[in-house]
Amino acid sequence: MKHNFDFERIWESKRALRERLTTAPIIEKLRMLDALHERAAAIRGARFREATAVQEKPGGYGDRKDKTS
Amino acid sequence: MKILEVIHVVNQMVADGVIERYAIGGAVGATFYLEPVSTLDVDIFIELHATPGSVLLTLDPIFSYLRDRGCTMQGEHILISGWPVQFIPPPTPLAAEALANATEADVNGLSARVLTPEYLAAIALQTGRAKDKARLLQFMEVHALDRTKFEELVECHRLVDQWREFQRQFVL
Repeated sequence: MKHNFDFERIWESKRALRERLTTAPIIEKLRMLDALHERAAAIRGARFREATAVQEKPGGYGDRKDKTS
Repeated sequence: MKILEVIHVVNQMVADGVIERYAIGGAVGATFYLEPVSTLDVDIFIELHATPGSVLLTLDPIFSYLRDRGCTMQGEHILISGWPVQFIPPPTPLAAEALANATEADVNGLSARVLTPEYLAAIALQTGRAKDKARLLQFMEVHALDRTKFEELVECHRLVDQWREFQRQFVL
């Protein structure tokens, strides 16, 4: 299946979306800001947990507990 | 909506005499004129006066007022309804002038004092981080600025070199 990308139309639709967001009522924009903030805080929290979590280090590939066998 | 709760609390601080006047700046202030962009905190410029009998300017009365209402500190911020809020005494003459000339916006019946787009753009030019330049570009792209007023601020606050450099960088 062949896809044709009309970049002019893509840019135009992006421009239109940005214009709609810019001119949206302030109450709607503040609602979006709340949602963006919650998402950013969640991502930040997850990254912090990742960095500080105690992690079990996997043994090296081929490690064996019993070296006698 | 949590951000409305923040504005409500700050208005209440004015009503209770904890602060005299304020203006919302930063990304939240810019949202009044531009598309919303993700931000972690709310910047609130405030006029700070020394408490009677003291020559020191301190944010303590603000923090103590908010702590009494259940808000907690988070580094340099104070958490109000989940939003880290930073109260900023104007660090430059430009910011002080911006605070004095802020405008009143109506948010569903709630009054909010916000920096004007020209001052937000001039502060962004002065601050000059990548995200500030992006914000200034947004202001230019959507023609949210009165160019004459903005260029007067640029001249008055000796930002002409930064403005020329910005124009050179972004081929305006």
